[in-house]
Amino acid sequence: MKDSNPMHFEGKSPKEHLKEARLKGLIASYEVHGMEMPGHIAAFADSMKDTTTLLLMIWALSLSLFQADTISKFMILFSLGWIIWKPARSAMLGWGRLERLHRLIEEERWEIDHNREQEKIELRAMYEDKGFKGKLLDEIVDTLMSDDNRLLQIMLEEELGLTLEIHEHPLKQALGSFIGAIIPCILLVASFYLCPPLIFPFLGLVLIGLASYTSAKLERNKKISGFVWNIASIGMVITVIYVISKIFVSN
Amino acid sequence: MIVGNKPFIFDEFFASGKEESISPFLTKSSKAWSKNLTLKSSILAAFLLLISFSIRNITPSISDALLVFVYFLVGTPALIDTIEDIRNLEINIDVLMTLAALLSVVIGSGFEGALLLVLFEVSAAMENTVTRKTKGALSTLHELSPNRAFVIDDSGQTWEKSTKDITVGTIILVKAGEIVPLDSRVIAGSSYINLSHLTGESIPISKKAGDEVQAGARNLDGTLTLEVLRVSADSTLTRIMQLITHAQETKPQLQRFIDKFGDKYAIAIILLSVIFALILPLMDSSLAYFGTEGSIYRSLTFLIAASPCALVIATPTAYLSSISSCARKGILLKGGIILDAISKCRAVAFDKTGTLTTGKLKCTLFSSTSPSREIIPALSIAASVEQHVIHPIADAFLNYAKEQNAPLVLIEDFKSIPGFGVQAKAQYKEKMEKVFIGHYGYVSSNFSDSVKEKLSSFQEIEPTEGKVISYILIGDELFYACFSDEIKQESVSTIKYLAEKFDIDTSMLTGDHQENAKSVGLKVGIQSIYSDLRPEDKLKIVADLSKEKGLIMVGDGINDAPALLRATVGISMGKIGSATAIDASDVVFLQDDLSCLEWLIHKSHSTLSVIKQNLCLALGVICLATSPAILGLVPLWAAVLLHEGGTVLVGLNSLRLLKK
Repeated sequence: MKDSNPMHFEGKSPKEHLKEARLKGLIASYEVHGMEMPGHIAAFADSMKDTTTLLLMIWALSLSLFQADTISKFMILFSLGWIIWKPARSAMLGWGRLERLHRLIEEERWEIDHNREQEKIELRAMYEDKGFKGKLLDEIVDTLMSDDNRLLQIMLEEELGLTLEIHEHPLKQALGSFIGAIIPCILLVASFYLCPPLIFPFLGLVLIGLASYTSAKLERNKKISGFVWNIASIGMVITVIYVISKIFVSN
Repeated sequence: MIVGNKPFIFDEFFASGKEESISPFLTKSSKAWSKNLTLKSSILAAFLLLISFSIRNITPSISDALLVFVYFLVGTPALIDTIEDIRNLEINIDVLMTLAALLSVVIGSGFEGALLLVLFEVSAAMENTVTRKTKGALSTLHELSPNRAFVIDDSGQTWEKSTKDITVGTIILVKAGEIVPLDSRVIAGSSYINLSHLTGESIPISKKAGDEVQAGARNLDGTLTLEVLRVSADSTLTRIMQLITHAQETKPQLQRFIDKFGDKYAIAIILLSVIFALILPLMDSSLAYFGTEGSIYRSLTFLIAASPCALVIATPTAYLSSISSCARKGILLKGGIILDAISKCRAVAFDKTGTLTTGKLKCTLFSSTSPSREIIPALSIAASVEQHVIHPIADAFLNYAKEQNAPLVLIEDFKSIPGFGVQAKAQYKEKMEKVFIGHYGYVSSNFSDSVKEKLSSFQEIEPTEGKVISYILIGDELFYACFSDEIKQESVSTIKYLAEKFDIDTSMLTGDHQENAKSVGLKVGIQSIYSDLRPEDKLKIVADLSKEKGLIMVGDGINDAPALLRATVGISMGKIGSATAIDASDVVFLQDDLSCLEWLIHKSHSTLSVIKQNLCLALGVICLATSPAILGLVPLWAAVLLHEGGTVLVGLNSLRLLKK
């Protein structure tokens, strides 16, 4: 098939072009700060983990650096700011992702409208990769090219690796994040005031465990491994802070 | 992989301008979160503002914290718009409002600033609603527009193909229940189609081989094999969508003036506010309302009171609502400017055939050369022969036979001689007789010697203008039938309504001779009849009437294209398949219904009336509030309420025009 617009592939083969496009789709669909899965439950788990970690760090500092009265006020005000920030950030990330995805879909639609021959070549390359050939391949390509809506969906899913109708609304995600932040804030601040000192870190670890378990379940990773690694990491962080803070106290 | 499943329909998403509530990436349950987000956030902000105000004296800190939330919810979008406007060197309402809100905070009137932003956001949400509703007609057409078709190849196999890849002359198949994807001609099959999506006309129309069908028509029962006449980009549906888009984008003179004036006005208001803020403290403080105290407060109140929010939305919301309402009624306009022109016209001229009359033939007389002969048996035979023919005269024969209760009979050896007439054999007076139907030349060429003898004194009937005579020879007996154009039912009531309600002069322009024109003119109650017109005469009358009174010319859009172009406003009727009609006219009636004219004239008057009300309201609020504001007689909160209340009222007033 004749490539009527070589600029479309920028000197690469259709298969190299497909690889690049899939990477572009992958980048667009994830949160910029890492591999957090989009969705309100994932946002809840992530937020709970972050919030608990930060409060545990503050608690560790309080053991050596601050007066109990100062740290309790600090913890309340910090929690208040944090439970506003977390959902706001989550919503902004969600909207950012949606904007990137909408831009991609528009670019792909433009390609379909203006570079139909190139899109056909890409489609052919994709289905050749899947093992189709000969007349069957021609028929598949012709059928898919016959409907622009279907073609756009195929290109988004197969070329860019995106999936339709799986993302939650940024505000719903923000709500998950808000709940994930407010629960540890209320429980930990209350335990700081009302319970014996060791309940605070214990409760914190339970919350971390719960958040890690939820994340691992969503990502279909090993739950026990995820749970233990998270507890160990956060235990290490708190211990390092506590130990090092003693240097400042002794000086 | 979704082959075999129903693909996602992206067209609506793109047609909506990538609206988040129909984003293809959001889960179905999530989409509801996006609906009316501006309105929801402004309502939440209003609620928080109310709580903040209520607890102001009890816990000022929490009240202030809530106020911060209000600024976050409604101030952030306003700030984004403002920064973008300033970046584009535009000083407009967004900039004025944000500036006013910021100044309110600076002078310690945070509540008033928040109230301003909340109400500004509410009016923005309303404006969005109007725009969304006006786009409704277009998105319905997008939904209607199929993007693929079943193509029949040379071997007779059917393939699905994108309409964008289909060329003129391609053969396509449209099954019952499907939408016709491209303008085409029927080459095989017959079916009823419905154009209600395009024209609002719900009566099914019969289509058979040779007939044209427009893209967007719904095939109701049979299967149609069609030959594509126009590519996707030129199809009727695309042209209608382009016309609606063009109408929404074309700005009338008044709107253009207000847009242009709005920017300069905004700059002037900002400058005046600055001048007032600087000059008032320098004036003699012993004079009432002057001196340093509250000069910034007063300038700010002036800034808000004088802001032209309501003025800016007064015209576009009204025009958009009317254009949308017209589109839903099956009336396409080339912009709001046409509504202005219609309301100023004092005369309407109609073409006769196809406009005041149906353009379809009606049998007015079936008679014999010998008065003593029975008519009904001959009519039965004529109708039975004609039922095998596709021709307006054949339809008229059949309708007349039905009216006269003349039953159809069996005929034999039917033969059609194109351009001349038809022949057959039928049982007549207990004998099998030859039947010839057609014009006099054809029928008389089949006269036997005995017929010639019998009819030696008979003279061919001279057809009067606009009438058609058909002859029927059965055996040696000769009959004839007269056909004439039928007057549309709604013609009389429309013309009466125009004259009585709007005091509009009505006239008829026709090439028909005087007697026939007069006959139709008198029946429909037209005031002036211009007959025997050559095209150049017609054009001259149209030009004179347009200059003298402002003329609406109503025609069929094809024969009358020059007159439609020359008139103040040209309206073509029921010609959705014709590119000429759409190009030559300012208005296209998708339905072949003259009563749309009275509705349209009424709508044009209502639109102007609503615009006048809107402008009076908007200017009234500005005049009422600005001078007292600078004198310190109007508090900031009252200026905010007056200003934003006026904007909301103007928006609601415009929405009234959406009524069909």
